[in-house]
Amino acid sequence: MRKSFALMTLLIAVSLSAVFAQNASGVFMGTAIRSLENPYHAVWARGAQAYADSVGGFTVIQTCEGSSEKQLNDIKALIAKAGKNAVFNIDPNESPNVIPIAKACEAAGVYFVTWWNKPDNIKVTDYPHWVAHISFSGIDAGEFMANTLFKKMGGSGKIVALQGMLANSVAVDRFQGLQNAIAKNPGIKLVAYDAADWERTKAFEKMKSFLVANPDVGGVWAANDDMALGALEAIRAAGLAKKVLVVGCDGVGEMLDAVKAGEAAGTVINPAFWQGGIGLALGLAAKDGKINVKTTPPEKRAFYAKAVEVTQDNIDKIIAEFVKGTPKYDWSDLYSNYVGPIK
Amino acid sequence: MSDTIGSRGGMGAGIGTALARARVSSFISRGMNGQLVALAIVLAICAIGTGGMSLSPKNLQTILSLAGIPLVICLGIHQVVLVGAMDLSTEGVISLCAVVAGFLIKNPLTKYDLGFWAVPLAAAIGGLAGLVNGLVNTKIRMPSFIATLGLGWVAQGLAVVASRGNSIKMLDPSFQLFTNGNLLEVPNTIIVALVLGAILFAIQRRTRLGTYMYAIGGDEALARQAGIKVDRVKIAVFAITGCVYALAAILLISRLASSNPRAGKDLMFPAMTAVAVGGVSLSGGIGGALNAVFGTLIVTVLNNGMVLMKISPYVQNAVNGIVLIVAVALTIDRKKIGIIK
Repeated sequence: MRKSFALMTLLIAVSLSAVFAQNASGVFMGTAIRSLENPYHAVWARGAQAYADSVGGFTVIQTCEGSSEKQLNDIKALIAKAGKNAVFNIDPNESPNVIPIAKACEAAGVYFVTWWNKPDNIKVTDYPHWVAHISFSGIDAGEFMANTLFKKMGGSGKIVALQGMLANSVAVDRFQGLQNAIAKNPGIKLVAYDAADWERTKAFEKMKSFLVANPDVGGVWAANDDMALGALEAIRAAGLAKKVLVVGCDGVGEMLDAVKAGEAAGTVINPAFWQGGIGLALGLAAKDGKINVKTTPPEKRAFYAKAVEVTQDNIDKIIAEFVKGTPKYDWSDLYSNYVGPIK
Repeated sequence: MSDTIGSRGGMGAGIGTALARARVSSFISRGMNGQLVALAIVLAICAIGTGGMSLSPKNLQTILSLAGIPLVICLGIHQVVLVGAMDLSTEGVISLCAVVAGFLIKNPLTKYDLGFWAVPLAAAIGGLAGLVNGLVNTKIRMPSFIATLGLGWVAQGLAVVASRGNSIKMLDPSFQLFTNGNLLEVPNTIIVALVLGAILFAIQRRTRLGTYMYAIGGDEALARQAGIKVDRVKIAVFAITGCVYALAAILLISRLASSNPRAGKDLMFPAMTAVAVGGVSLSGGIGGALNAVFGTLIVTVLNNGMVLMKISPYVQNAVNGIVLIVAVALTIDRKKIGIIK
């Protein structure tokens, strides 16, 4: 066991040094993500590379494969190699992992950007090298999805909702967004909701039961695309496709097809490509003195960014840009997708 | 000795006792009164809670269509439980079979378009997984719950690697048309499940394998003393169960016309609850296919009813957990358990 561990460490060290060598002259731009096997992070890595190409550099992609330990060690290894001559764009494996990562980068004087979740009691402003922590508001996404659906329903009718896994912060936020939208739309009635744990199969089964109790339902709000697609299958089986619309979130390929086919009203895409590029751009801007982190207002140190909102009206453009092509971004506009501070 | 044991004329005292015990067990399982009462109670509660809506023809049809796949899985697991073992590889094996079948039925990722022939091939994969379960359990002498838990994770891992985490869209519409279709208003999935149940029921009641299964489940040491080839029977049971999982996987992916490595996720708990609620003793030897049918119906009616009654999702899981514990408490044979771990 120990032998194989040592061997693995050696292998990793050798492969890492090979990567480092290609980039010895410039700044080491570290991209720390989970794995290249999931489509989201694969697109993230492409965005990172696209940014690196635009500044004539090279990005070091570090995948942690779900291990917080490995993520921290990889980051420390690159810092040990590069010293202050590095910047990082990090999608923390788990939110508590933000703390040791922030401490390691801070101690080395390396500028870095983090995404999604961080422990609430950790303040970005306490770390002079933490350029920004950026997230996407689940509440906004939930509300956008709801409003898109309500608009298609003409502002009145019955809807049912499928929640994600209970006690999961993203699920709670998106559902809150739905409730906010319902409060503003008195014509809409939420006649039933249930948890389908982000899963297509469970959503299909719950939807079958919903359709018995509410044959006159006008729309389905699902907290993610997988559940929306499961509900859509139940709707198709009942012969109600295109009459009962679904909305979801995440922008998976089949969901975009469903929006295009007129069976889904919309979804929300987290712009992984932009995330991959802009994180490095922010880090490099701080390192080169283009932005002064110490004088940057706190609301731009921890903020929500704008997700890509997909509706039947813009679906062709979205497919052309995100599925068939590569989205174009102006990497010098560092806060272009800024929405508001994380409270 | 073992040559003559199988023949009815050459029974020793040991096998006589084992078989007598098996007969008693199957006699107990023949009494379905408890399950019928439980089903009636659950149906009544749901009917009252929904103002009769849960008994509408449309909802009864929905319940039957929802019960089909869980019943297939439950029929698989209950066989293993019957011989006194445990199978925790359910979810992993189903996921693996789902991914393999997804690649073999017409899809955008591979060039295969085997249609119906994907079913026996998936069954072979499932059967192989079951065979390994059985071999590890009997030959390496590892407790079945650990052996199957391990293999389940191996299968789940293979499913993820093979699919690289992607969903596989099914382009052959005939599968989906069949699974979501009805025969004279009866959903096809429940018909498939009931046919499978009838086959397993016949094996349990009419074949020597079935008799041996009850004997082993009733008292494995006694069965072994009586010369029953316990290992062989258990391996066969695990392999059959693996094939059954493959069938469940095919039904699952064709229902949504999409396969992914998470296909088997969260399917074991409801199936295990159905096994216990149906009255199959988790200590082995008691119960049969009929119990699996009733158990699945009770669990499905309950879950469908909770959705119709708009019971908070926070409460639904707790209700299922309580049902499982109560059912096990009522069916477990405490005489067989010396120490509770």
